[in-house]
Amino acid sequence: MGLLSTEQTAVAETVDLSFVDRVVEEIGREREAVIPILQRLQEHYRYLPAAALRRVTEITRITPAQITGVATFYTQFRHRPVGEHLIRVCHGTACHVKGADRISEAIRRELGIPDDDDTDPEGQFTLEKVACLGCCTLAPVMQIDGVTYGHLTTDTVGEAIEDFLQLEARGLLSPTARAVEGHTDGLAEVRIGIGSCCIAGGSMDVRTELERVVGELGVPAVVKPVGCVGMCHQTPLVEIVKPGEAPQIYPKVQPEDAEAIIRRHFQPRGLKKLKVAVTSALDRMLDDRAWKPMTRYALDVRDAPICDFLGRQVHIATEYGGCLDPFDIDEYVAGGGFEALRRVVTEMTPAQVREAITRSGLRGRGGAGFPTGRKWDIVAAAEGEPKFILCNGDEGDPGAFMDRMILESYPFRVLEGMAIGAYATGIHDGLLYIRAEYPLAVQRVWNAIAECEDRGFLGEDMLGAGFDLRLGIREGAGAFVCGEETALLASIEGERGHPRLRPPYPAEHGLWGQPTLINNVETFAMVPWIIREGPERFAELGTERSRGTKVFALAGKVARGGLIEVPMGITIGEIVEEIGGGVAEGRQFKAVQIGGPSGGCIPARLADTPVDYEALGELGAIMGSGGFVVLDDTDCMVDVARYFLEFTQRESCGRCTPCRVGTRRMLEILERIATGEGVASDLDDLEELALMVKQTSLCGLGNTAPNPVLSTLHYFRAEYEAHIEGRCPAGSCRALIHYVVNEDCIGCTKCAQVCPSDAIPMTPLRKHEIIDEKCIRCGSCIPVCPVDAIEIH
Amino acid sequence: MPTLTIDGRQVTVPEGSTILDAAREAGVAIPTLCYREGLPPQTSCMVCVVRVNGSERLVPSCATLAGDGMEVESETQSVRAARRMALELLLSDHLGDCIAPCQLTCPAGMDIPRMIRRIVAGDLAGAAEIVKRDIPLPAVLGRICPELCENACRRGSLDQPVAIRLLKRWVGDEDLAAERPWRPKVGAPSGRRVAIVGAGPAGLAAAYYLRVAGHQVAVFDRREGPGGGMREIDPERLPPEVLQQEVDAILALGVELRPGVRIGEEIALDELRSDFDAVLLAVGEIDERAASDLGAEYGRRGLAADRRTHQSPLKGVFVAGSALSPSNYAVRAVGSGHAAANAIDQYLRGEEITPAQRPFNVTMGRIDEDTAARMVQEASAHPRISPSSGEDAGFNDEEAAREGLRCLHCDCRGFAQCRLRRFAEQYDASVRAFTGAKRAYELDATHPSVLYESGKCIACGLCVEIARQHEEELGLTFIGRGFDVRTRVPMGETLANGLREVAIECARACPTGALVVREEAQEVADDD
Repeated sequence: MGLLSTEQTAVAETVDLSFVDRVVEEIGREREAVIPILQRLQEHYRYLPAAALRRVTEITRITPAQITGVATFYTQFRHRPVGEHLIRVCHGTACHVKGADRISEAIRRELGIPDDDDTDPEGQFTLEKVACLGCCTLAPVMQIDGVTYGHLTTDTVGEAIEDFLQLEARGLLSPTARAVEGHTDGLAEVRIGIGSCCIAGGSMDVRTELERVVGELGVPAVVKPVGCVGMCHQTPLVEIVKPGEAPQIYPKVQPEDAEAIIRRHFQPRGLKKLKVAVTSALDRMLDDRAWKPMTRYALDVRDAPICDFLGRQVHIATEYGGCLDPFDIDEYVAGGGFEALRRVVTEMTPAQVREAITRSGLRGRGGAGFPTGRKWDIVAAAEGEPKFILCNGDEGDPGAFMDRMILESYPFRVLEGMAIGAYATGIHDGLLYIRAEYPLAVQRVWNAIAECEDRGFLGEDMLGAGFDLRLGIREGAGAFVCGEETALLASIEGERGHPRLRPPYPAEHGLWGQPTLINNVETFAMVPWIIREGPERFAELGTERSRGTKVFALAGKVARGGLIEVPMGITIGEIVEEIGGGVAEGRQFKAVQIGGPSGGCIPARLADTPVDYEALGELGAIMGSGGFVVLDDTDCMVDVARYFLEFTQRESCGRCTPCRVGTRRMLEILERIATGEGVASDLDDLEELALMVKQTSLCGLGNTAPNPVLSTLHYFRAEYEAHIEGRCPAGSCRALIHYVVNEDCIGCTKCAQVCPSDAIPMTPLRKHEIIDEKCIRCGSCIPVCPVDAIEIH
Repeated sequence: MPTLTIDGRQVTVPEGSTILDAAREAGVAIPTLCYREGLPPQTSCMVCVVRVNGSERLVPSCATLAGDGMEVESETQSVRAARRMALELLLSDHLGDCIAPCQLTCPAGMDIPRMIRRIVAGDLAGAAEIVKRDIPLPAVLGRICPELCENACRRGSLDQPVAIRLLKRWVGDEDLAAERPWRPKVGAPSGRRVAIVGAGPAGLAAAYYLRVAGHQVAVFDRREGPGGGMREIDPERLPPEVLQQEVDAILALGVELRPGVRIGEEIALDELRSDFDAVLLAVGEIDERAASDLGAEYGRRGLAADRRTHQSPLKGVFVAGSALSPSNYAVRAVGSGHAAANAIDQYLRGEEITPAQRPFNVTMGRIDEDTAARMVQEASAHPRISPSSGEDAGFNDEEAAREGLRCLHCDCRGFAQCRLRRFAEQYDASVRAFTGAKRAYELDATHPSVLYESGKCIACGLCVEIARQHEEELGLTFIGRGFDVRTRVPMGETLANGLREVAIECARACPTGALVVREEAQEVADDD
């Protein structure tokens, strides 16, 4: 019977079920408790033993049909014991275009994981493919348990695994972020980024080292952890802020650099050989001694490109980026935090608040761009009590991590925005729905809720103004479709994440059938600024139809990637060239993919297009939640379409025919085309099917899933036609390319040594040959060749 | 009370009605698979989509509330195209055979699996009735048939095909020997007369079906007795008395036999044409000269006639059997005679002649051993049975029943109830519009009154919902998601445990043949 078979029940007989009883006692016995219970059980058992599920159904109102349906719907849940260590390979957009598939294959080869399994025979490692780890600028990336390895190549995968095992053997696996105490009044600050990208880049070790150095040298400074600075391509980042001096940023800092940096800025007492020490240390920073397997280099903030990267932006949702401690409520307050909330609850009526939001022109930042003020009006007018407020933080697009960054870095701002929204619509209960893949965000938001309640910014009688608001968190469990608001509601109610037809909209008929206000993380994060600075100031930014700013995750083939917040109306070209620094390695800018799996590809020739909901929509893309992936001439558009479709068809809930079967059939046609087995009529068939899926699918996932295909077919049809003729002009589709050794070969045998399929005979000092039939196009040989003698034809 | 138009028809419906409700009120038929009255809309199949106020997106009519002033398009070209595509997508992931391969292969199109199930049930008259719907000479063909059907039998990919020919022969022989052989009901007299030239298998079959349709039939043959070319078959293989008995059974329906008459010599074809309302030429294989002697036009390989309608260039003259297209197989001639009879019947009623379409069919195609092994679980594992008294003697009753148990029941148990099939025909959906990954064959036979083939499931959710509403302890659930979503009993339990209360109700709601009431439970179910 496949999943949850009876044999597994037999295995699970030995499971200690008393834990189940404890968890149920703690979480609850109602149907909606099912996902939190399953999450706790999985954390404990490392999978979901069938006996534990049965026990749950015996002692709760959760039915067998419900628990089986839910446990097999969300990808977070496992039904077989996981290996000792979990390797999660990111298959987000940025990682994909940088070869994530080959990385996964290399890991399988390295660990001997069979094709039909996810765990090696010894049960040491389980390999998992994840939609996005949210550190696109380190692509391609994998995470082994808590440790992140970036900039991987097929031949460094083995080293990374070895490195991990050594860390483990030496007991050096560092825990994730901890809460931080302490104040920084008058002192210089040594800021260290603790966003996910920075942590992935190793910032916790750097921080420990900085604290040690500062302590030992007794310099007048505090080491302060801060949220995302937005320069994720440069992590870990250290910034030295001394009162009265221009701040200085050090990118890609390693623990051994800490002392040199501190010594450069602070005169430690009693040390004379300062200059020499600093010089040698900084020289070391400029070395090409790679911290395996990442490369690193040093940069000064005064360098022009970095200034551009930061300077062209307008920070609203990301206000005080890089200098706010996400744990420090006082600091948030000092920067004007909760001023808006105070003004709202003490000076304004709910109607006035809604009117201000309407006047600002704010539209939903989750993708569709519905006017926020109007939504608030509908919820306020809807009949039925209680009403609920939800913050949609189920960001699941590969290549997008705006919500994660905002939640991790500015949790207080999101809560303030929610509180204002709740006041404006008369709501007293709410939840933040956050992906379980964002543990830092969950932890920091919990912390922020507790802090806010302590200070009276949330909870009973908020700010003494007689308004109550209780907020909590619900963690998602691995289903992209739950970003669709009706599926999100189903998920909170403890069901499979099946969307339902709208109307009725959640504003009138939402959680438990009650009027429900659902806004995206970024939307809520805009609200405090709008109230504090005035809706007019917000409306001054942007275009006629799209006001204010938008946060994007800039990634892909761009020199500088990271989180950016830009005024609406900025052109695509300006983002790519001026903020991103143009495509990397002298390649040619080909297109940008905006809006992720629901969006489309806009060709470079339309780079003058302004960032605006309607302007992007007219070109077949969407604003979406903010993925912005730059593609160059080595990126195959058929492959890009195939990649996104593979994602959406995998994430389809399976409820309606066009999405469940239609997206799969589209994918199969695309796969035929990408492997050179397409026929001319495939293009029209694909287009016809794509339009039908778009028009008849039940929810937004299916309605937008064809966009990447339709937009690439529209702008890059010639590239599809080339595939039908058996060519991949970008040299990317494996079935259509060959690896060839050119005359530069010096016969060093490095390629032959790394080739996993024995396609390169060991011929020392002679020009190597690649046996085409044996070659699996894994790409291992290319980076190891010292003379770039391997070409793709 | 909103007033709206659907395909131009105005209708006013109570507040809260859906577009589907309104369409039913307005007399506009909208196809639905996943909708069932009294249950919340499943919005799964998307076959009921309509276009509202010309918007680009289509909406499911089962879940969209009727609004005042709505203009709804249902049977317009683009909406039909969307429905067709939804059906084609469902068909592309729908694994099974609508019609068993044996029946599809049989030139006479006989419903072999049903015949076999009647045999197994000990219902001789029922079996004879099924056989004679397509083959009026089962005892004869049961001896001389080339067993084309057995080549197609899926059981053959596991061990050996079911002995279909011998089973058919058993039905023919037992029926002839029966105290009261099964006889068809002859239709009310039409007052029309048909002359059939040739008393071979095509002519006899045509005579039978024309008589059953209520026409008067006279069969002419130049030979001294009936049977045509079958008279020359080795009497060891086809004893003359068997042929005679089955011909007699046809004549007993009121068919007139006029042997020893040469048409074209004793009676001119034109004379027949004026004496009769229609003439069927079933004279067997014929050359150009003989055709001219007969007074009929010669075509490429036989008498000139439309192969689909059997009409010759002479008004009222039809052609069937080897005279139209030479064949050594009597069963082919029987099929041709039957088809010609249908054409003549339509002609005599003044209707347009519409040849039977090739039936809509989903097929599993070639199956592997694993699938065959899974299919066999409800069948007897015994190897093919040989008649104990020798091949010439045929099966005895017990052998026939045991051999019948070997049948895999490839034909869809939900053939009659299947709405997917019905709408696929209605919307001209192609089974092969999309190809790609497909479900695997599975048969859950653990339940006493229903059978579940997940390969045919379209994940509509009706059974899941019915089980939930009736608070079945286990019930059914969706497992997995996306393309791989499956409907199953939770906790890896059997169907017998999953559906203790509402199995039959669930099966009745199934829009395909995925969940069906077992044949043996059918009567019990009907009593409910």
